[in-house]
Amino acid sequence: MSTRTLTFIDLVFVEGMDDDYFSLQAILADNHKLSCTFLLDVPGLGYLEGGSDNDLKENTKVEIPFWLAQTLSLNEFTTFPLPPPYAPRVRSALNASPSSVKLSNLVGQGGWWYRWGRRLADVLDDVPQSELLGMLLRAFVGRLPNLQDLAAHHAGADHSAPEGGAGSGEAFKEGMEGDERELFGVGQDSGRLVKVWYDSNWGRKTK
Amino acid sequence: MALPKILQPSLTPDELTFLAEEERIDIVPLFSMTRVRLLGGIYGPFTPPSTATVPVWLALSLKRKRKARIVPPTWLNIESLQSLLSEEKTNAESFQRLPKRFIEISKVLLDVAPDDLQSPSTLRSLLKDLREVRQAKIRLGLQSEGVMRGSYLQVTNLTPLELTELKPFLVKAMGMMQALEPKREEEGEEGLGEYSQA
Repeated sequence: MSTRTLTFIDLVFVEGMDDDYFSLQAILADNHKLSCTFLLDVPGLGYLEGGSDNDLKENTKVEIPFWLAQTLSLNEFTTFPLPPPYAPRVRSALNASPSSVKLSNLVGQGGWWYRWGRRLADVLDDVPQSELLGMLLRAFVGRLPNLQDLAAHHAGADHSAPEGGAGSGEAFKEGMEGDERELFGVGQDSGRLVKVWYDSNWGRKTK
Repeated sequence: MALPKILQPSLTPDELTFLAEEERIDIVPLFSMTRVRLLGGIYGPFTPPSTATVPVWLALSLKRKRKARIVPPTWLNIESLQSLLSEEKTNAESFQRLPKRFIEISKVLLDVAPDDLQSPSTLRSLLKDLREVRQAKIRLGLQSEGVMRGSYLQVTNLTPLELTELKPFLVKAMGMMQALEPKREEEGEEGLGEYSQA
């Protein structure tokens, strides 16, 4: 069979983080709130600030969802600093030990740290953009071995999971963000599928 | 796609076993019969004590009805499994090439016809050792440089079953890495050569 002698898993079909129109995750990730500064007066939008003023003044800081902030910032109506989940403090923590940073705390439970970071990078200029993407990629790569071990361990198959790693494993599991959680589920499911097959007994089947 | 998520990435272990049951295997029938014409082909004649070559599914069916004894494939004995295992252990870099449908057929034969094999419990533990050595290699491979750069994983000689276990996780992880790759390709010409798929 050709499947057995295949040398590469060809990765033409990328199903990792699609920006598909119908992708619910992409929509939800666009909803993360962002603190923006308006660069001009906007009549009639005072309610965004929550005050009683009718107009929004220049230099007001307002928390708006990313999908709105993106358009406004591209048209130079607003600017925003890099939000706290991607701040230098987080970057140095990730450099020190990628797997001990709790990404879920940074973007809230069920948040999408990677997706949102990637959407933010779309708005940034070349240099900060590649810096941000580089940070995301390094974080993901650094956390991947832990994630894989954990998924294999939870699938319950006879994998050589490191002994005594259970304590830190649970802590890591709590710190996973949306896409990591999904990846964990994927790994766990496929591991379990194979384990069920190994545990099944073909001798008892009557056909 | 309309298929459930779990069926999308690859064949399930059960489907692989189904395919493996098309392989040929020798049996010693315990009954006499002339050739039979089935949809899949013509099998027989069955004249004990000489052997007949039939597909695995037919062998299993006859075995379950106690109408045949299965002659195990040449690789399914203690000596050849031990040599496979030791080669797998000494060669840490790559995977050993296993006989076709190795995992599926050994599993099914051990389940259905343990009495036709020599010391099935030893065989079982050898197969388990072999699987564990290969799993450890897969785990190391997942942390190799090729995967970390989001480009490839060396899977030469992995069996379809092992791929089934590995593929969904790997494809998604690599997809994420490619999405996070700084995107120079669309934005300017300078990064083109570096990022073109070699």
